[in-house]
Amino acid sequence: MEHGRSRRKTPEPEKCRDPYLRCAFHGAAQTALGVAGSALLAHSPQGCEYLVNNAFAWQACDYMEVITLCTKLCVDEIVHGGEELLERTILEAKDLPISALFVLSACGPEIVGDDIVAVCETLQPELKFRLIPIECAGFRGSQYDGIDIALDAMLKHLVNRSGEKIPNSVCLIAPHANANPTWIADLDWVKGVLAQMGIRVVATLTHRTPLAELEHAASAEASLLLSHDAGQKAADHLSAAHGIEQVCGGIPLPIGMTNTERWLTALGERFDAQKTAESMVVEGERMAMATCRRKWPMARFFYRTPAAIVADATVGIPLVRFVTEDMEMTPDLVALYTSQRSVRDLLERELDDLDLAPTVVYGTDVYRTRQALAETKPKVVFGSTIERHASEGLGVSHVVEVVKMMRQFRMIDREYFGYTGILDLFECVQNEWTMAWRSREKRYEARW
Amino acid sequence: MKQIAIYGKGGIGKSTIASNLSAALNEMGQTVMQVGCDPKRDSTRILAGGRFIPAVLEEHREKLRVGKDEYAIDLDRIVYRSPGGIYLVEAGGPEPGVGCAGRGVLTALQILKDLDAFETYGIDVAIYDVLGDVVCGGFSMPIREGFAREIYLVCSGGFMSIYAANNIARAVQRLGLRGDTGLAGIVCNSNGDEALERAVIPAFAQRLGTAFVQFVPRSPVIQAGEMEGRAVVEYAPDSREAEIFRNLARAILANDTRVIPTPIAELAELETMYREHLVKK
Repeated sequence: MEHGRSRRKTPEPEKCRDPYLRCAFHGAAQTALGVAGSALLAHSPQGCEYLVNNAFAWQACDYMEVITLCTKLCVDEIVHGGEELLERTILEAKDLPISALFVLSACGPEIVGDDIVAVCETLQPELKFRLIPIECAGFRGSQYDGIDIALDAMLKHLVNRSGEKIPNSVCLIAPHANANPTWIADLDWVKGVLAQMGIRVVATLTHRTPLAELEHAASAEASLLLSHDAGQKAADHLSAAHGIEQVCGGIPLPIGMTNTERWLTALGERFDAQKTAESMVVEGERMAMATCRRKWPMARFFYRTPAAIVADATVGIPLVRFVTEDMEMTPDLVALYTSQRSVRDLLERELDDLDLAPTVVYGTDVYRTRQALAETKPKVVFGSTIERHASEGLGVSHVVEVVKMMRQFRMIDREYFGYTGILDLFECVQNEWTMAWRSREKRYEARW
Repeated sequence: MKQIAIYGKGGIGKSTIASNLSAALNEMGQTVMQVGCDPKRDSTRILAGGRFIPAVLEEHREKLRVGKDEYAIDLDRIVYRSPGGIYLVEAGGPEPGVGCAGRGVLTALQILKDLDAFETYGIDVAIYDVLGDVVCGGFSMPIREGFAREIYLVCSGGFMSIYAANNIARAVQRLGLRGDTGLAGIVCNSNGDEALERAVIPAFAQRLGTAFVQFVPRSPVIQAGEMEGRAVVEYAPDSREAEIFRNLARAILANDTRVIPTPIAELAELETMYREHLVKK
């Protein structure tokens, strides 16, 4: 047999284009599983159920309380469509003691045209619980896009339009769109601050959120976005459809001294709780500094060390100021997982304000991160386990694993937000500094 | 067993060519199975006396509805034997508006394979009549999965039919790298402008690196046979047209060459080639 053209070259093996983020289906599952007393039905092949399991862990769901279902699509449903199977599966779940069933569609059924919205509308009269279809095929984008898609579906299907505004109240948006693996502690810290300021949380979108909370989300006076990566569309919708004003918009989330102070002050001003905010700042800074005096963190050894930040925007953007001001390092590289306009604007404002000009990579993947690390040659990287491998052989002395650690077990949630959060981050730096001295290479080189 | 696939622009006459080819091969003593790979399931209509035969995916869907799988399908219900002795199969497709027809065609072919249809009927030549164009990856699956080994392109002197053939050649080039599949030749099904076609189609075939196999003229005999629900070798066995299809059948039986084509990458180049022959005419 003749060949008209030679085979295409295979990509060079060192080019790892692995994305940091999972797909939209995963983000939607993360969001749906944050609604208490509900169940999730994945209209997908069974492999996608893995993403649901992962989202289940991210929301710290209890398997005794939360049910997940899957239509387990096979080739027959791709050929003929899977609407009949979806109908059967929903009807099999009709006696479950739940308040809502979220139906999530994966790539396969959306490609072949399954209409989950029509199926849900048809079956709704037969069911005691609410059916909420979320068209979140993985190809629609990253997990952060999936969070936006799911929030949009929830707000449009579940939030009641009527209802009076509750004074001094907020709706918290997208606390789970955060690469801090213990983000639930960040949310708890925010709730604690709000309680001290006398601000009521009407609804959290989403974490252990009862359906009734979601239904009354429109009665909040303000919205508070807890992510720079997702949720802005939900905040905009609440503003446009329900007149809910967004507070602390355009300010980096409260990681580090200055960011925390700015965020608390803006919150206090909006809710007429300036004095409370002021005392929280004073007491927080005193506690953080007193603790540092007593515990002697080794942060001082990193003075003016070239550093890189590789994270999502939620953690990454506030870290720029933390690394610069609190750690007194020099950020030479900022690589963020996402790239939307709001992320670019916020980071550029921060860099201008700090008078910094690092290399910036938006929407980075593992290969681009490694290339950027090779070019900028930082000594310290604030990132994840992935950068520990991606920086191999590049002369990076320390990788401070602050985001989305893989295969590491976290029993206790610890926040990055606020003043205790600063100490938690110092602790990460300190432990990395100590562990570097215990490296195998250095141990064998040492004279015993 | 020889496995050939007929591709080409929609409406170019693939089913006409495939059916008449099947009939000519059958007349030569070959055991032939023609498989229509189009959800419209009209490939075998001429050979079935002008009727539509039941489709594999229809039967598949019925079995699924009663909780059974493809192994419950009986070959007798999906393979139809024409009065002339040609085995006919229509893949069919899902209900309009749902499912994936491309994947459906592959499923139908897989069912035939799993049920040992080719061995059961002792098939010498399988002819896959694939729908209009390789509109998505699904419709290239007969090539990708190795059901079709020799690809024949059908085109006329119309520019868009050559454009479509070039696109299909691109799919063959891509998929041919996977295994023992390649382009075996081009058949011209004339639209009436013979002078142009006799110039441009051989040149196009040469440019793709393949053979120009047969010229089939526009003829009222072929159309009359279609209207009667009969192939030309049966309807007008002594006609010039019948001899043309016999020649085509002989050429295909004798052929053992297939190439990975070299399609034209730029539309401008294709247009230039076409214009050159248009001027010469």
